[in-house]
Amino acid sequence: MAKLQAGNGVQWKDNKSQRGTVENLAEYESSSLGSDSELNGFGNTEIQTDKYGFIGGAQQSTGENEDIPPDVLRQREAKWLDMLNSWDKWMAKKHKKVKLRCQKGIPPSLRSRAWLYLSGGKVKKEQNLGKFQELDRQPGDPKWLDVIEKDLHRQFPFHEMFAARGGYGQQDLFQVLKAYTVYRPEEGYCQAQAPIAAVLLMHMPAEDAFWGLVQICEKYLPGYYSAGLEAIQLDGEILFALLKRVSPVAHRHLKKHKIDPILYMTEWFMCAFSRTLPWASVLRVWDMFFCEGVKIIFRVGLVLLKCMLGSQEKLKVCQGQYETMELLRSIEPRYMQEAFLVQEITELAISERDIEKEHLSQLRRWKETRGELHCKSPPRMHGAKAIMAAEPPSRQDLKQHPTIIVEVPPTTESKGKKPKKTKTEKKKDTSPPLNPYPLPNDPTLPSDNLSPSESEHLQKDTPLQGSNQSLSSAEQDTYL
Amino acid sequence: MQKEHLFKVLVIGDLGVGKTSIIKRYVHQIFSQHYRATIGVDFALKVLHWDSQTVVRLQLWDIAGQERYGNMTRVYYREAVGALIVFDVTRASTFDAVLKWKDDLDLKVTLSNGKPVPAVLLANKSDQSREGLRSQIPKLDTFCKENGFVGWFETSAKDNTNIEAAAKCLVEHILAYEENITNNTDPDVVALPGYNNNTKERVRTRCVTCSKF
Repeated sequence: MAKLQAGNGVQWKDNKSQRGTVENLAEYESSSLGSDSELNGFGNTEIQTDKYGFIGGAQQSTGENEDIPPDVLRQREAKWLDMLNSWDKWMAKKHKKVKLRCQKGIPPSLRSRAWLYLSGGKVKKEQNLGKFQELDRQPGDPKWLDVIEKDLHRQFPFHEMFAARGGYGQQDLFQVLKAYTVYRPEEGYCQAQAPIAAVLLMHMPAEDAFWGLVQICEKYLPGYYSAGLEAIQLDGEILFALLKRVSPVAHRHLKKHKIDPILYMTEWFMCAFSRTLPWASVLRVWDMFFCEGVKIIFRVGLVLLKCMLGSQEKLKVCQGQYETMELLRSIEPRYMQEAFLVQEITELAISERDIEKEHLSQLRRWKETRGELHCKSPPRMHGAKAIMAAEPPSRQDLKQHPTIIVEVPPTTESKGKKPKKTKTEKKKDTSPPLNPYPLPNDPTLPSDNLSPSESEHLQKDTPLQGSNQSLSSAEQDTYL
Repeated sequence: MQKEHLFKVLVIGDLGVGKTSIIKRYVHQIFSQHYRATIGVDFALKVLHWDSQTVVRLQLWDIAGQERYGNMTRVYYREAVGALIVFDVTRASTFDAVLKWKDDLDLKVTLSNGKPVPAVLLANKSDQSREGLRSQIPKLDTFCKENGFVGWFETSAKDNTNIEAAAKCLVEHILAYEENITNNTDPDVVALPGYNNNTKERVRTRCVTCSKF
């Protein structure tokens, strides 16, 4: 059995029956090809990932979503940098605008930072400097380590980051999940936390992912992962009650066939749809979820139920409990497609108040039929604004620490005064820049705003030919 | 005339013992190292052409193994008529949990006559245990008799060992029960819920049938 040595130096010991400790990707390919029907579009000679890092599986991108034009993306990045740099002001005064921009989709290059700011994970991290390292140094309860270890290779096995046994992705995942069990020993580890942590890790380093996970578990979805799983069952009842309003036909059908909500919504809600939707949609849903809270998860669930079971015609083909559940496990791709889904979500009139109201009445019903809740969870926070109000950050907490420090050459005497547009254009005419983002010797470069992963994203996501459309200098100055 | 049966069968056992792999092997004839951990519950349907007169449709319910989901099992177990209880031969703790699963099952679901639903024990990942469980066989026979399992099988989803046989054993018992209630509607028989001495008696005789496989 593979054993982990806890603590900082994670060591992976060999498993007698496995060929090696670390299955690298090439081995992965040869060992599973031909034996797994989920693998398709998988080259024989080399592994091809989609733009999100998936090498196969149902969530791999089919490339049907249109990419955002580079110039639009550049503008959005500038706007997001501006927001992030005066985050408290934006949240206090222009929250609607922030919400709207989350609905439009956070630019990939800034997603990690935005998620951490929206969730309050950034503030938590700053207020608890060194905490993650301290948690990481502790050995952890063997009971949880054993379970976590069993799950490491079973999270997004088709994502390049998590495909290799004992690879960096799995090591980070172990670190984050273990740290949480040390942080909240009374909560321990719940299986559905692993995909949540994995999605975060696809975007940010382990420490940031840890604080993101803490915020999701304690602010956005409190009680979802606690022993007894009462909160998720209660939300199942809330979802079902809301469905009556959104789609009476679907509601009646589920009721008639006695299909308990936990039969179809457990994975949806506990994993925040990260294992259900195509990846582009997962990211858009999470952008909105971090901003607006659990309401978004309810809306996605309601939209999918309405689309799949919302008309008599559709119900004709699923006359039974099992058939209905099968149908809900194989949702038609068109209903999960990014643009369609986001539009439906934003148009669905289910508010925080609706959810809170329903929460109260379902809680009353629960107490009548099942007695008191065993697990007292903290109150749910409906999104970024509520979290920020509950835990107001200092300016210092919101400061972005430089992760790359670029020496400014002394030759750039034109400190932001010179019209940079002409300058950059001139440069581009002669030799194309390596990085499509503002040039490193530009004094106003936001270099200290970019973490390594962010700059990597920038390179990956923006074709060079789009660079002449990059941030106009005037905007750049104001925003940075 | 052809008869069609629809049975709901649970696949339960501790986390990571290979429940999903067993189902995928049985239903889709595949094995992969890259399954995701089951969260909540998953489903699959297997159609068996049992004999010239009988078609059996098995709804296999793949239940998440983490203890934490135990609160939801009442809903998952509802109307089940059989169960495969799985443990991992390389991890003793998963065998220790077998009785916990069996008790949970018997507590939350019974047949229409109040008796426990037939359960088959699967000692999975046999490909990974060097000497296998050969020395343990007499012990497991006793274990099954004492704890109301209708039989046990050493299985490997990876090597496709005994999965079909285990399922066949379970289906035989389910069918036997079905025929029993259709042929025998004795109003004097009072069904008691949960465990009783009758149950163990019944199991002992059935276990002999099972050893044929």
